[in-house]
Amino acid sequence: MAAMMSSKLLILGNVAKNPLTLKWAAASLSTSSVRHTEPEIKNDIALLNPEEIEHKKKLQNYITIEGTTDISPITGVPEEHVKERRVRIYEPPKNCMQSGTNNIGHWEMDFDNRERWENPLMGWTSTGDPLSNMKVRFTSKEDAIEFCEKNGWKWYVQESKLEKKFKPKSYGINFAWNKRTRTSTK
Amino acid sequence: MSYFGIDRFFDFLKTVKATGGVRSALYKLYRMDSLRPGVLVGCDKYGNKYYENRHYFLGRDRWIEYAPHYALEYDGSQVPAEWFGWLHHRTDLPPEKDCSRPKYKWMSDHTENLSGTPGQYMPYSTTTPKIHAWVPPKAPPQDEDDENKKKECK
Amino acid sequence: MFRLTITKALNGAKVSPKPIFIAARLQSGEVKKPEKIEVFIDDQPVLVEPGTTVLQAAALIGVEIPRFCYHERLAVAGNCRMCLVEVEKSPKPVAACAMPVMKGWRIKTNSEMTKKAREGIMEFLLVNHPLDCPICDQGGECDLQDQSMAFGSDRSRFTDIDFSGKRAVEDKDIGPLVKTIMTRCIHCTRCIRFASEIAGVDDLGTTGRGNDMQVGTYVEKLFMSELSGNVIDLCPVGALTSKPYSFTARPWEIRKIDSIDVLDAVGSNIIVSTRTGEVMRIVPRVNEEINEEWLADKSRFSYDGLKRQRLVTPMIRDNTGELKPVDWEIALLTVAKVIKNAGSNIGAIAGGFADAEALIALKDLLNRLGSEALCTEHTFPLDGSGTDLRSNYLLNNKIANAEEADLVLLVGTNPRFEAPLLNSRLRKAWVHNELEVASIGPKVDLRYSYEHLGDNPNLLQQIAGGQHAFSKKLKAAKKPLVIVGAESLERPDGAAILSAAQSIAAQASSSKDWKVLNVLHKVASQVAALDIGYAPGVDKIREINPKVLFLLGADENAVEKSDLPKDCFVIYQGHHGDRGAAMADAVLPGAAYTEKQATYVNTEGRAQETLPAVTPPGRAREDWKIIRALSEILGAKLPYDNLNDIRDRLDEVAPHLTRYGSAEDANFFRQAQELAKKAKVQLDSTPLDVKIKELQDYFMTDSISRASPTMAKCVQAALKHRQSKYSD
Repeated sequence: MAAMMSSKLLILGNVAKNPLTLKWAAASLSTSSVRHTEPEIKNDIALLNPEEIEHKKKLQNYITIEGTTDISPITGVPEEHVKERRVRIYEPPKNCMQSGTNNIGHWEMDFDNRERWENPLMGWTSTGDPLSNMKVRFTSKEDAIEFCEKNGWKWYVQESKLEKKFKPKSYGINFAWNKRTRTSTK
Repeated sequence: MSYFGIDRFFDFLKTVKATGGVRSALYKLYRMDSLRPGVLVGCDKYGNKYYENRHYFLGRDRWIEYAPHYALEYDGSQVPAEWFGWLHHRTDLPPEKDCSRPKYKWMSDHTENLSGTPGQYMPYSTTTPKIHAWVPPKAPPQDEDDENKKKECK
Repeated sequence: MFRLTITKALNGAKVSPKPIFIAARLQSGEVKKPEKIEVFIDDQPVLVEPGTTVLQAAALIGVEIPRFCYHERLAVAGNCRMCLVEVEKSPKPVAACAMPVMKGWRIKTNSEMTKKAREGIMEFLLVNHPLDCPICDQGGECDLQDQSMAFGSDRSRFTDIDFSGKRAVEDKDIGPLVKTIMTRCIHCTRCIRFASEIAGVDDLGTTGRGNDMQVGTYVEKLFMSELSGNVIDLCPVGALTSKPYSFTARPWEIRKIDSIDVLDAVGSNIIVSTRTGEVMRIVPRVNEEINEEWLADKSRFSYDGLKRQRLVTPMIRDNTGELKPVDWEIALLTVAKVIKNAGSNIGAIAGGFADAEALIALKDLLNRLGSEALCTEHTFPLDGSGTDLRSNYLLNNKIANAEEADLVLLVGTNPRFEAPLLNSRLRKAWVHNELEVASIGPKVDLRYSYEHLGDNPNLLQQIAGGQHAFSKKLKAAKKPLVIVGAESLERPDGAAILSAAQSIAAQASSSKDWKVLNVLHKVASQVAALDIGYAPGVDKIREINPKVLFLLGADENAVEKSDLPKDCFVIYQGHHGDRGAAMADAVLPGAAYTEKQATYVNTEGRAQETLPAVTPPGRAREDWKIIRALSEILGAKLPYDNLNDIRDRLDEVAPHLTRYGSAEDANFFRQAQELAKKAKVQLDSTPLDVKIKELQDYFMTDSISRASPTMAKCVQAALKHRQSKYSD
């Protein structure tokens, strides 16, 4: 989510080229069927006066803040859920029943599991934890750590042990005459 | 006499007499807010009495006088099932005269509506519990001292 | 198909996230690096070692070719044909899982021919596949469902349904753990290859050909292996499913919590799947250094023991001699009164499931009260350097490195049932690396051939002295391993056995990184207890004649009530009502491993943590918190209030206990050997024996598995199987 915000800012920061010059230059071949394109209307700057345009231009650049940001007072998360929760940053494991890997390869963070009890009225499972279903996805570990730091949560990283030696597989060893890799069953 | 309504007055006096005096008529008026002459059709085992008066319009011609132990705490749920049908004009036959009423030995006694009282129904879980608690084994026979004592007693 | 979802692309993910995941994890081979071949997959060049298959080469880039029968840990079969891809200039598509790449090949995984091949294969698979998705347990996590959506055709041409219909196959009974609905089988033969290569039980096979082919045991035979549950994971369809888990939950309504298995000392990584606050199933998580992606049966199926025979309230034995439930206040006050009267004459025994936090809390409390009598149930020889040097009691060479060994000597251990995942590694080395295994101990069935040297412990001295034929092999081996079972060290002459093993290890020449001496434990708490400073073995308790005995989940009856003085007050803190609680005068309910965030150290010395998946039932609480509350009432308040504090304390005592996931190497082998030489114990001539020799003994060994009805069914099935004429 954090990366999404930053990419949006980047998009806003790009100033579009003047379209009119390009289109007229492209339509130089057949004069009989010149495509008349309407001039582009930019509603967001058309009705502004010059000072407002200047102010808008200033907002498109980045400003630098010193030190780490801690936005926990303004996020709206209650204090007990900032101070007393521990965040686990991990790579979600592949489902052992399937061989598909589209669900993995990213990082996630979730909170410590809190109490769940059986509701006396209907027997459903109740919990008092507002962050019980909070699972945030990130593309990298550093993004996740940055997010936790920004929000003031205590975090720890659970490393996955997925490194494996690459061994080329061979179909022929199933028929080895002197090795134990000879298949004994079909 | 009927033109002036004086016979109504005498009917009223008759009703008071039938009730059993001015005192009981006043008590009945206090308790049930109405003093009606009626024929006693029957009574049930809780002490409630059932009256009928065909001269009244439908709806007010059959009524119940709750047993005295209810005092002012009477309510409609105290009418037992066998009289309920008669009272609400579902049938014209009171229970003794109606042979089509079911009679099974498993039929339980009628209870009134207990909402708001300590006997009210609280929903509870009827599912098997998720965790089976450990039941500790019965205490093994006591140590040798007690056994020796038992032997001595014998 | 989209290689990259839109959300991932917008979040700034690099074009192919999978190479970072997969390729970065693949390290190339060790010594000689053969010249790499260049191949083009979807116009992307990739350099691979010669002999790599097309599927592996594509995986290096991040291109996943769909497959059913191929599995990276099993042999290549090439019978599903789903991995067919087009190779330029080839008239036929090529099975990517089996075909080694040639130089300059251009492989197209998304061309028309490839897509047509995939649709065709999917069509054939679905022709005879029953419409069981609504009742199939694999629904939601089924390879066939996913691949038919991704690669299959959208319309069916199966008109035969109105005539002869689909094929139906009888279900096979292969045991109380694996449910078979063979109509759904797509004959990928993954289960057969697993049983044959990894489990070593050659029972599954195919019968018949073509449409009438059936996968099964052909005769009425049960699939009796300690790793049988893994075929449930391997089967891509719902043909092999978990019998205890059948019809209980769907994968999308399940919450998954990563945790660690504590039913043996391997510390396999698991995922505890829960729904509505109860554990639905336990499945393995990939950890290449410990359990790869397998999980032993006891760990996988004994979760229903977590719901039975649980301690849910504190109990005190009243004057009639019966345990009566009380609430926490009374229980703690009673226990505190008794402990105060005992002064410093208190002892403690830690059981097999005790976590490091509870161990350290109990040790701190008892030390503050003036007692040092904290013991583990299992003994370890204290002569020589004893438990002071970690290298004496760890599996020093780590589980993963066992697959590189070329000679293994097993001393008094049956790794097949004590640590099934270590045994599978040894078997992997036996199959692929020509491993030679020799064993000193009872002749047990390890599912691979080994040299049984005998069961006389004097053989160890002979091998150490070079008088045995085996010593020559040991000297010649480049990567030998000596694995000593913890059970053999529990004998009175355990010190001599360890010292003999150490001298054997010292003689074997190997590189500095290769540790020859390894000790294999049987319970998950042993290494953590020894690291924290518990005395191994209950002799200390017998010496001091304690007035109060604190059993921290100790159910093996190491100390019987008759061994203790008459007025001894026994406090049991644990999660199951087993022998320990039956013996106790006060019972304090603790949390099981799925209910607490706790640290466990496996036999390699690797600290890992379990996470709470469900809440402890009834009035049960986390173990270290109970001890902390008790300490406050006693007046010897422990200085930690929350998890971070107690982990800081663990860090103080032994820093490796909080470094989760990594196993630190232990040293001082030479010094340990020198010190062990000074031990005066002589080798006994009683033969080395192990407690668990056969499969039926494997299933019920601790309080959780003894409470599990599934494990009881397994024991029955194993016993019945012994009588059958088809068992070997």
